[in-house]
Amino acid sequence: MATSGSLIQVKDLKKYYNGGAIKALDGVTVDINKGDVMVIIGPSGSGKSTFLRSLNLLESPTGGSIIFDGVDITKRKYKNADGKTVKVDVDDLRQKMGMVFQHFNLFPHMTILENMVLAPTKVRGVSRADAEQKALALLDRVGLKDRAGAYPIQLSGGQKQRVAIVRALAMEPQVMLFDEPTSALDPEMVGEVLDVMKELARDGMTMVCVTHEMGFAREVGNRVLFMADGQLLEQGTPEEIFTSPKNPRLKDFLGKVL
Amino acid sequence: MGSFIQLENFPKIVPYAQLFWQGLAVTVLLSVFTVAIGFCIALVMALMRLSNIRPFRFLGVDANGIPRETGALAFISKFNPVSFIATAYVEILRSTPVIVQIFIIYYGIFGVIDLPNFTMFGFIKFERFFPGVVALGMNSGAYLCEIIRSGIQSIDGGQTEAARSLGLSQVQNMRYIILPQALKNILPAIANEFVVIIKESAITYTIGVQDIMSAVNAVRGATFIIIEPLLVATAIYFCLCFPTSKVIAYFERRMSHGDKR
Ligand SMILES: Nc1ncnc2c1ncn2[C@@H]1O[C@H](COP(=O)(O)OP(=O)(O)OP(=O)(O)O)[C@@H](O)[C@H]1O
Ligand SMILES: [Mg+2]
Repeated sequence: MATSGSLIQVKDLKKYYNGGAIKALDGVTVDINKGDVMVIIGPSGSGKSTFLRSLNLLESPTGGSIIFDGVDITKRKYKNADGKTVKVDVDDLRQKMGMVFQHFNLFPHMTILENMVLAPTKVRGVSRADAEQKALALLDRVGLKDRAGAYPIQLSGGQKQRVAIVRALAMEPQVMLFDEPTSALDPEMVGEVLDVMKELARDGMTMVCVTHEMGFAREVGNRVLFMADGQLLEQGTPEEIFTSPKNPRLKDFLGKVL
Repeated sequence: MGSFIQLENFPKIVPYAQLFWQGLAVTVLLSVFTVAIGFCIALVMALMRLSNIRPFRFLGVDANGIPRETGALAFISKFNPVSFIATAYVEILRSTPVIVQIFIIYYGIFGVIDLPNFTMFGFIKFERFFPGVVALGMNSGAYLCEIIRSGIQSIDGGQTEAARSLGLSQVQNMRYIILPQALKNILPAIANEFVVIIKESAITYTIGVQDIMSAVNAVRGATFIIIEPLLVATAIYFCLCFPTSKVIAYFERRMSHGDKR
């Protein structure tokens, strides 16, 4: 797995709720490199989703910084190459980070094809014809080209999630964020979604995945992060994390899920 | 003591049939324009109420960058003037009688603003019809605002998250994702508002709009019969509203079936 230079640098990231009573993120520092397949594990409520959602600013962090493409995106403004102060363009940033959700979040009033061409045409200004061609090619990759005209409600959970993944890919993101993409699926559909994610990893996509699929973490991940109580307690290769865990909380956690 | 209804009075109304037909047309047009204007006002008000404009946001964080949750500064930092204006509009219009609103619009606003004197289709007096539409539309807008607002809020938050994560702006998200779904969900409620307006529009006869109610008044003025023309008006209103609400209910049922597909 090619790791060449860091893509996102997270420093001391904090997210507090209720005036600091709930510390969903309590100082997380981590570098995400190009080509990383980073898997985040941890007990419920440990801040995994909050971390992921902070990366593309679906949550606005209480403190710390996220450097993406050389810009601290947690600030409202930054100095560009010419030394001018410009606003951080959140919409522009978000299209560079694809996100896949537990509950798919396809747009139910649009066909699969419309779901896929909306953002490329409206946000990136791609022509309708080009966007459709690209969408069909992507759908073909996940074996759903023949369902392009269907509505989300007509698809199975696994099919919906595959569409959600290629919908994000249609924006040609630099990194893909997955928040428990298989947790809402019937067991027999988990495999088809994981297969798509594996292929994506093989193609060199940078991925940050929150998942309970330890098999996937082992097989595909190159780094595993363990979070608890909003803190990053341990990180390492899948080998290190699964065969020689050090932190007692991690040992305890693995004892429960493996 | 005469009987309640005197059948021989009905033929006496016949010469005024034209007034009832015209009244019917006025009532329907009035209601259509009212709902159209009301919808536009409501959409703007609903978006204003749901907006997130907080000019004093900076007061909501303390020196350490931690958000304040209580106290006067936290309260001020959450103040949204745009939402406040829309909320005030909705609450005031829903808490005062329609007739008061109509009189204020007609005698107040359009007592100052001069409207051109002309008739539409040969029988609708614009200078009465227009204030009627404005007043009813403003009132209806307040009610429709709450319907639209609840429609927007009923859309799963995951939709916005997905749209924003794809890079759609807040406006694009509203336009392409939220509103199409919300409006489809509340279509029956909007159609019901139309039925409500048909009935409520009867009040505009008080400012001289020549609707069905004003036909009743005209007949009374000329012939001194009142009950029979009222019964005719009752029949007309019923024939307008009852089938309409049945049709709405039919589509509402069909739509909810469609969703379970
Ligand atoms: N909007 C919110 N308001 C208050 N507390 C919140 C909010 N969102 C999250 N939290 C809290 O922050 C903590 C971290 O939540 P988060 O969803 O990130 O956990 P998670 O690791 O993703 O858990 P799970 O595995 O259940 O998805 C939890 O204690 C949660 O209750
Ligand atoms: Mg979560």
